[in-house]
Amino acid sequence: MAQALIDLVRGKFPDAVLSSASEKGDESIAVRREALVDVCRFLKDEAEMKLMSDLCPVDMLTFGQEMTGGGSLASQEATPYALERKPQVEPRYRLLYNLYSVTKKQRLRLVIELRSDDAKVPSVTSVWRTADWWERYAYDLMGIEFTGHPDLRRILLYPEFVGHPLRKDYPVQKRQPLVPEHDFPDLIRGPGPGPGGAGLPMSQTHVGRQNVDPTTYD
Amino acid sequence: MTESRVDSRQSTVDSQDPFAREAELPHSLVTINLGPSHPAMHGVVRLTVTLDGETIARAVPEIGFLHRGFEKSSENSTWHQVLPYTDRLNYVSPILNNVGYIMAVEKLCGVKDPPRSQYLRVVAGEISRICDHLTCIAAFGLELGAFTVFLYGVEARELLWDRISELTGARVTTSWTRIGGLASDAPPGWAEKVNECMPRVLELTDEIDALLTRNRIFIDRTRGIGVIGGDEALDWGFTGPCLRASGVNYDVRKAHPYLVYDKMDFEVPLGQRGDTHDRYWVRIQEIRQSARIIEQGLAALPPGPVIIDDWRYALPPKKEVYSSIEGVMAHFKHFMEGVKVPRGEAYGYTEGANGELGFHVISNGQGKPYRVHVRAPGFPILSALPRLIEGHMVADLIPIFDSINMIGGEVEQ
Repeated sequence: MAQALIDLVRGKFPDAVLSSASEKGDESIAVRREALVDVCRFLKDEAEMKLMSDLCPVDMLTFGQEMTGGGSLASQEATPYALERKPQVEPRYRLLYNLYSVTKKQRLRLVIELRSDDAKVPSVTSVWRTADWWERYAYDLMGIEFTGHPDLRRILLYPEFVGHPLRKDYPVQKRQPLVPEHDFPDLIRGPGPGPGGAGLPMSQTHVGRQNVDPTTYD
Repeated sequence: MTESRVDSRQSTVDSQDPFAREAELPHSLVTINLGPSHPAMHGVVRLTVTLDGETIARAVPEIGFLHRGFEKSSENSTWHQVLPYTDRLNYVSPILNNVGYIMAVEKLCGVKDPPRSQYLRVVAGEISRICDHLTCIAAFGLELGAFTVFLYGVEARELLWDRISELTGARVTTSWTRIGGLASDAPPGWAEKVNECMPRVLELTDEIDALLTRNRIFIDRTRGIGVIGGDEALDWGFTGPCLRASGVNYDVRKAHPYLVYDKMDFEVPLGQRGDTHDRYWVRIQEIRQSARIIEQGLAALPPGPVIIDDWRYALPPKKEVYSSIEGVMAHFKHFMEGVKVPRGEAYGYTEGANGELGFHVISNGQGKPYRVHVRAPGFPILSALPRLIEGHMVADLIPIFDSINMIGGEVEQ
């Protein structure tokens, strides 16, 4: 069923499709990174793939290792020695775009492979609105950069977080540095550049009006 | 944050008319925080809203307060150890998550559970779906001031959670499925107990329906609020009741029937307007459809085992573990090394209570998952919250937020 769809994409973008596969009923095509937005727009407009179901980033760093379990390199048993001698796998990252057509009841997985020294991919937020948060999620947890994304920042973790935890070389039990206390310039209206200017750190103030210049408070 | 937006308009006002001048008093946008710990924010989500008077000019949701690292933890657990984590994704309908995850793993293993297990998964899953919808509607009522609705909803939910605890031993942390079947069969007389409590659940649902659906106050607060069309909802990644409220007929149970849903006779209720009221109404109707599925499933429940006999994937029964060397060995391998799931990747998707619940599982042939990715239905829906509330009043924010039924556990993993 989905083979016709794959042929359609191949016919339209003969240079962009790298390979296609069918595994356990899931159809997938690997496409070239440069053609991603064009292929996505074609799939949405012509093949009625109106729903971008999700985006799954995968780090293939330890996939080939035997007798290790999936996350062994990053597990608590991993020695510094193993971490130093981490294998180089290229292309290291895979992005799986899960597309669905409600009218045709077809599902297609779009695969993009990325090298670790160039983990950038064009954003498809212009095609599907929902790509906005999924790309932020992939950026936050896997460190993939989406060029052209309107607001690429962390979504689940906090801005001061160091590293990208879903990468296989991020140890499970890694501790994060403590975040210094933020100044709350305007405690009445919450964080942000308020009329009070830079106030005292929260620990040194009462929560209240005295922190705000009364003349600027309306 | 203060932004002045007065000056350009003042020149148009007739300065002789005092009332017109009053209407054009200088004002500025006000930014307030809703949440993270706000009683109407279901879990912890922070919403920074910029108000123009009482109208919401801009809203920025910030999530992640409940992030537990589900996907990272899964990579460092055996395939079965991931199961308790899936309970905590949507803690109102945990069995649907258990079934969704296990079906993705079974797709990778190429095994199928026996018929009795399939029927029990459907029945327990639909009970969970009713619980989820009841919780959504009960909280919806509560936050609009209809406390009776909350009490009715919770009474019905308690009846069902009692049945769930009889079945699995726990109210919400069920961890009930296993690769190739179930952890336990239904206790004797369970089907009769479910059949006994379902009329009361439906009666309470009817009461809620009668209290809310044609209630003038409720209609005024929900009709025409937070409207989103079908195409736009798809573009935002909506699935489940929120998508069907916008009139798009997509239900995984009908579009790609799994388990024994193809043998069940049920309908998919669709909304017409895609507003807050429709999202509520679709849930009420789905409770009734789920009750039909439960009735049919229990009537057709076949006898037989609830887990397959293939000890490569399925746990051996305790009798074999204690009395045969093969049983001990299989048990030991399962718990010390984990199930050796064949190398490959699969995307398993089921209809969760809030939409398409997908698990993307990748195995490199070892006892632990290489990658588990959850497609939480609430995640894309929450991302559209600014689109739904902008331009509405502050008071409309709560009904809209209730109607999308954001579950912190799955959205924030």
